[in-house]
Amino acid sequence: MFIARFLARRLLQGALIVFLVSAVIFTLLRVVPGDPVRLMAGGMAPEALIEQIAEEMGLRDPIYQQFGRYVWGIVQGDLGQSFVRPASGAAVGGASFDDSTRSERAEVWDLIAQTAPMTVQLALLSMLFALIIAVPIGVWGGLRPGRFPDKLALYLSSVFVSLPNFWLGIVLALLLSVKLKLLPAIGYGGFAYTILPAIVLAIEIAPFIIRTLTVSVAGVMRENFIDIAAVRGLTRNQIIFRHALRNSSVPLLNLLGVQFSMLLGGVLVIEFIFDYPGLGLLTINAVMQRDFPLIQGIAIVTAAAFVLINIIVDLCATAIDPRLEY
Amino acid sequence: MSTDPSSPGAALLSVRNLTVVAQSEGVRRTILDDISFDLKPRQILSVIGESGSGKTVLARALVGWMAPQLKITGGEILFKGRDLIRDRAYASRLAGREIAYIGGNPAGALDPTMTVGAQLVEKLRAVRPDISAKDAQDKAIRLLEAVKIPSAASRFHEYPFQYSGGMMQRAMIVDALISDPALLIADNITQPLDVTVAAQILKLMRELNEKFSTAILFICSSLPVACDAGDEVMVLHAGEVVERQTSADLVSQPQHGYTRALIAELPTLWANGKDGRDERQDRNRQALMSVRGVAKFYETRGKAGKAVVQAVRNVEFDVFPGDNFGIVGESGCGKSSLMRLLTGLERPDAGSIIFEGEDVGTASPARLRQLRRRFQLVLQDPFGSLPPQSSIGDIVEEPLKIHGIGTKKERHDRARAALNEVGLGDRLYDQLPTGLSAGQRQRLQVARAMVLEPRLLIMDETLSALDQTEQGKLLDLFGRLQAQHGFTYIFISHDLTMVRQVCSRIAVMYLGETVEVAPNERMFFDPGHPYTRALLSAAPTLEERRYRPEDCLLEGEPPSPIDLPPGCAFAGRCPHAFDRCQRENPALVSRADQALAACFLVNAASTAKAPADA
Amino acid sequence: MSIQEMTSDLPAPRKDRKIAARIWSQAYAATEFKIGLAVFSALVVAAIFYPMFSGIDPTKMAISSKLLPPVFMGEGWSWARPLGTDQLGRDMLSRSLVGLRYSLLIGVSTTVLMVAVGAMMGLFSGYFGGKVDTVLMRLTDAQLAIPMIILAITILGVSRPTIPAIILVLGLSGWPIYARVMRSSVMSERKKEFVRGAMVLGATDWRIMFTLILPLVLPPIAFVAVLDIARMMIFESVLGFLGLGVQPPTPTFGNIIADGRKYLLNAWWIATMPGVFLVLTLTSINLMGSSLERARNSIYAGA
Repeated sequence: MFIARFLARRLLQGALIVFLVSAVIFTLLRVVPGDPVRLMAGGMAPEALIEQIAEEMGLRDPIYQQFGRYVWGIVQGDLGQSFVRPASGAAVGGASFDDSTRSERAEVWDLIAQTAPMTVQLALLSMLFALIIAVPIGVWGGLRPGRFPDKLALYLSSVFVSLPNFWLGIVLALLLSVKLKLLPAIGYGGFAYTILPAIVLAIEIAPFIIRTLTVSVAGVMRENFIDIAAVRGLTRNQIIFRHALRNSSVPLLNLLGVQFSMLLGGVLVIEFIFDYPGLGLLTINAVMQRDFPLIQGIAIVTAAAFVLINIIVDLCATAIDPRLEY
Repeated sequence: MSTDPSSPGAALLSVRNLTVVAQSEGVRRTILDDISFDLKPRQILSVIGESGSGKTVLARALVGWMAPQLKITGGEILFKGRDLIRDRAYASRLAGREIAYIGGNPAGALDPTMTVGAQLVEKLRAVRPDISAKDAQDKAIRLLEAVKIPSAASRFHEYPFQYSGGMMQRAMIVDALISDPALLIADNITQPLDVTVAAQILKLMRELNEKFSTAILFICSSLPVACDAGDEVMVLHAGEVVERQTSADLVSQPQHGYTRALIAELPTLWANGKDGRDERQDRNRQALMSVRGVAKFYETRGKAGKAVVQAVRNVEFDVFPGDNFGIVGESGCGKSSLMRLLTGLERPDAGSIIFEGEDVGTASPARLRQLRRRFQLVLQDPFGSLPPQSSIGDIVEEPLKIHGIGTKKERHDRARAALNEVGLGDRLYDQLPTGLSAGQRQRLQVARAMVLEPRLLIMDETLSALDQTEQGKLLDLFGRLQAQHGFTYIFISHDLTMVRQVCSRIAVMYLGETVEVAPNERMFFDPGHPYTRALLSAAPTLEERRYRPEDCLLEGEPPSPIDLPPGCAFAGRCPHAFDRCQRENPALVSRADQALAACFLVNAASTAKAPADA
Repeated sequence: MSIQEMTSDLPAPRKDRKIAARIWSQAYAATEFKIGLAVFSALVVAAIFYPMFSGIDPTKMAISSKLLPPVFMGEGWSWARPLGTDQLGRDMLSRSLVGLRYSLLIGVSTTVLMVAVGAMMGLFSGYFGGKVDTVLMRLTDAQLAIPMIILAITILGVSRPTIPAIILVLGLSGWPIYARVMRSSVMSERKKEFVRGAMVLGATDWRIMFTLILPLVLPPIAFVAVLDIARMMIFESVLGFLGLGVQPPTPTFGNIIADGRKYLLNAWWIATMPGVFLVLTLTSINLMGSSLERARNSIYAGA
């Protein structure tokens, strides 16, 4: 069957991509300077102990052996354990000497599974906000190229896209949270804490949607079948809502697929600013603490998410426009 | 159906003093000038005019589809006595319901993302909300059957891109007729179609006119088609109606000078009789290009997985020095694939293409590059085939640079000479080709091809984008260049009248095979293959046909080149097919005097004749 | 039949200019482009000359004049410090303008790098197709799938972030999109008849790729890359904000804002004023980029 073959092919390609990504990240983390064991064991730990821990963890084996072990773990669903985080509570490390044994350290998979839902919640809400802002403006602009709505779309998207997310986050937090006390900003204590970060993220995403929609709606409206539809007796509403929007939604879907990593970048920074306990904050902390297994795990999970989202996007696009089947 | 019973003789549509002007960049130009005419219920009126005559603007003005730069400045369009121009609400109520429109571009006429059936239902329910979805669907399927779309009930659920051009045009006819309109405006509907398909559509349209009593305004640019289609023909020239007569009278006694010129300009297929064109060449010389058993397959990935398209199968012919060799066939017959093989752009999967004793198909890339100096290609699309950012002089010098011929000065001189020879003149040397007309661009292409002084020039539909007058001028040029440089030409074309005018010998292709190879007049007066006869019967001409469409015209569509039937590919549509045809594929056999055809009936015919020397 | 055909006997408007010139002149005709250009030029001139002529060292501390507000914005402002000073008394205007220099330098060189890499990948992939295409496109997919921000902060976080390192890392993040766009336009050009024409003339693949196709497809892509200069400048400031960009004491938008964040409640201008500069610059670049993009789209739709 068509769908099954499509899925099989894409999942196989996806697996290859994830494999490549993990290989790149794994190698990169092992060739850059900075010894994670030193961090893990603490600055005061004697050299011999560090070597001993490193030996035990297999960190002195050749890279390909380490990678082989790692991949074997992934295949069994094991992303390894964090270098620095204990199974419960805050990260360890720093100057104090703390001989954390393997059993006490947190599973990477658990850390990701705990934070990912928060990020998904943020991403979905911001996507919703972005669509609410961008769809009317983009469609209106596309229906009247060269006129006021089109210019509005152009100026608005140019300004939105020029607002750096971290700066906008600070400014909005200052205005809405500190001065006006409308929304909570820092940390997480309920759904309301998602709103402000989601607005900032939405403003970051919206210009891309506006731009794509204006171009694609204007393009579809120039198509022959749109002109002919009026001659065939269809009403303007039918033409716009049944035909023009349907046809211009495919480029929008593709945008979501391609810009996934941009969205992720935005999430990361915004979670950092608002101290929002999601995957982004986890990532930044992992990098600061050189928590290599966690960085690898996050990279692999996000690459897999990228692959899956693109498969879903392509499936949706094919459902809308069957010509795309291949 | 919905004519006014109180005045049976009254006109359904009356156009009175209609004037349309175009306004762009400050230039005002009259497109339609004071047009008046009547169309009675059930009547078919053909409107003929060349491009620029305003016929498409007329068609669109009638349905209220005006480009923003066009404006109606005067007159009225009365439909059942009410003016559509002033009463916009009335006009939009009629759109798609009482007045239906079919355009010349069926491929872009429907939303590509919805099934044909859903759009037919959507349209009917938009103009007739009282009809239930179920009834609308039943009616759509019934009409799809009526226009002879095979297995209509399942085709109903297919998307526009799954329809062929001819089928899509039938679907658009259904779309137009589904609301039982009183008037159908058909704007150039056969233009993009192959002749045999166009002939089918015309036949269908006449049947539907009788069955549904719809009046039809049939707009086209070919006089023979207009005369075939309409009860009466109205001639439009430079935005004015110059005359209107019944088809027969128009041809026998044209009143206006423009019409007379139009008729005189039409090339004929048979009228000039056997003029001895065939006798010109000496066939005992070595062939310049000899094609044997050439085949090319392409792999495609379809819905059902991988499939092999047999684009070219058994192609065989010889081209002799000084020949004007024609290759004709309809779209999908493999002539473009064959062109790519002949010019070494692709390698054949089987067979050989011997050019001056060397196989183009297996030559090394370096050798092929050298061979290219001796055979050149002139392409179809005048706009797409020239590099858009090079100056005219650079374009002609490019081949010399590629092959490292001459000094800068010599290349310059040769390019200028070539430009002069094709009639472009060298004052355009430093300009970009953007401002050139289609005809001038084709001349430029010829100049570029001949600057290498090749022996063989392959013309791939080179003239198809040009109008009749320009075609004639270029054909003269080709003749002059042939006399001067001794070129041999291969013309790849779908246009039988063009081929009839210039070619000494002709190969007919069907589904990747050469089914007939014959000298010019043998092919037109005594074709050996039933497909050739079908082509001849469908060719647009005003002449008395030697082959009548009733006897020869094909039903249905050619089979897909993906799953070909085991026997003769033509058997499914052939009026003479018998059981051997279903099992075995006939090879080209000689019919004497250099004529070959791939049909089992040839032997039967030639044994009856006197034995001849092959 | 189009209007153009109907009016074909009129003197044709002179359009015989190269594609780059057409895009440029059409974009220049738009108001938004002129606004963008004017603002951008003014900012660039200021960034080049103000720190030089004002004689104010953006890294010079003056504790005596710390935390001065911008003009008209509170007590103690002065025209000598139009945008006020930070917690160490450094002049915010010259710090912002020097930050703009680094930002532009990194934005432009990153964009050039990623367009160059992406264009070459796309050119080869789209022209040759087949196995070359498969390999290059898998590579592109993998690069797209690596969350670039993670890769960037990982590389810069564990090694020392120098300007070349930043440019290299950011350049890596952008090329796959260019490779894809380039590939699809090369593929569509490659199918055109003039390419076939050149092949029949005997032109080598190399000649066709670099003399025929590249000049045709690169300008439209390069013009739109202007938008990515802005995107990369944001990226650079994000890295600076996370402490992974150009390191202090060199002022960059990112590290100024990150610093200012600590004083948000009593000296809001430290974090916001450089941002206003950045937003102005980015908006002007984006206005120009969008106009170029639209000019390109309309030329392609009309051609």
